[in-house]
Amino acid sequence: MNESLGNLAIQEGRYLYAIINSGAEFCFGDIGVNDNKVYTISHEDIAAVVHSCKAEAYKTNDNDRAKEWILAHNYVIDYSSKQFGTVLPFAFDCIIRGSDETIKNWLIRNYEKLAKELEKVENKAEYSVQFFCDPEKLREMVTNSDLELKELKEKMDQSSKGAAYLIKRQFELKMKDAVSVELSMLANDLCSKIREHVDILKVDKNTSILDKYKGMKQIAAFSCLVHNDKIENLGEALDVINKLDGFAVRFTGPWAPFSFVEMKDE
Amino acid sequence: MSVNIDEGNIKQGLLGLVVALVEVIQEVLERQAVRRMEGGRLNDQEIERLGLALADLKAALDNIKKDNDLDATVESVRRDLDKVTNDMICNLLGPASVGIERT
Repeated sequence: MNESLGNLAIQEGRYLYAIINSGAEFCFGDIGVNDNKVYTISHEDIAAVVHSCKAEAYKTNDNDRAKEWILAHNYVIDYSSKQFGTVLPFAFDCIIRGSDETIKNWLIRNYEKLAKELEKVENKAEYSVQFFCDPEKLREMVTNSDLELKELKEKMDQSSKGAAYLIKRQFELKMKDAVSVELSMLANDLCSKIREHVDILKVDKNTSILDKYKGMKQIAAFSCLVHNDKIENLGEALDVINKLDGFAVRFTGPWAPFSFVEMKDE
Repeated sequence: MSVNIDEGNIKQGLLGLVVALVEVIQEVLERQAVRRMEGGRLNDQEIERLGLALADLKAALDNIKKDNDLDATVESVRRDLDKVTNDMICNLLGPASVGIERT
């Protein structure tokens, strides 16, 4: 009997959604993953948003079910943000083995670090910014500004078939390098145009490209932590870039600051 | 690290792999030819001859791809080869660092 109870205790866990900037005991209702009851476990002026579960990962081969779980996870984080301001979000399927007491002890142990992280993101949100350029426009810009490319183009037109083929390859290789340099310069230029409107700017190397922008060349993608007071100015700066001939901007958010929270248990 | 070949049609998959590899070799040859031309190590006759040979090779490869409907297969193999190369470079150099800028 005792052994059985021991196993039950080991299997108990708490699914973590976020850390909030409030010490209030609060019940969100049955809005969690798998309709679990979501509630807070507090310590001083911060709290963890959790639901009670078994200490094992959520696994399924059913894509629809997985989507439902992730939507529910994100919904709880969004709801927490609306109720308590910017939160420290956890990724899907973060489960701590133990009881409410275990979570409380974890909060006590990490209080200073969590409070500092909450202060860092207070009144701020994460936004994603992607810059695109029409590849033809890009090649045109590069050809117009590069004398060597202009000369190669003229030479290609005047040469015999074999020489013209090699000069064409030479032109294409130089064009590729020149486009790469131009993209890097454009990325720096665009970054400097939005830098004053963001608090932290992080290069996003894994961002996906929507079908709408598939024919365009991505110049750069950034995750931006932006204070609520600066968001209008950022939007205006991006609008100016979006209206430039051959350029496009994808601006999305606000989201909980997933890219800017560093939480390591000590 | 692996390169996927279309198992449903092994002949087309294998031909696609061969054509993709020849394309890679052709590109290396073209880069070498351009480098030698830029370095002044080829006279006009040699440039013409080399250019015609490479243009013929390119045309032959294009015809093989067209005749055997290989465009998608070759593109897929090239993508896989790029991934294998990138993985090897990442393993040699370590994971790319993510730049963070603060204002």
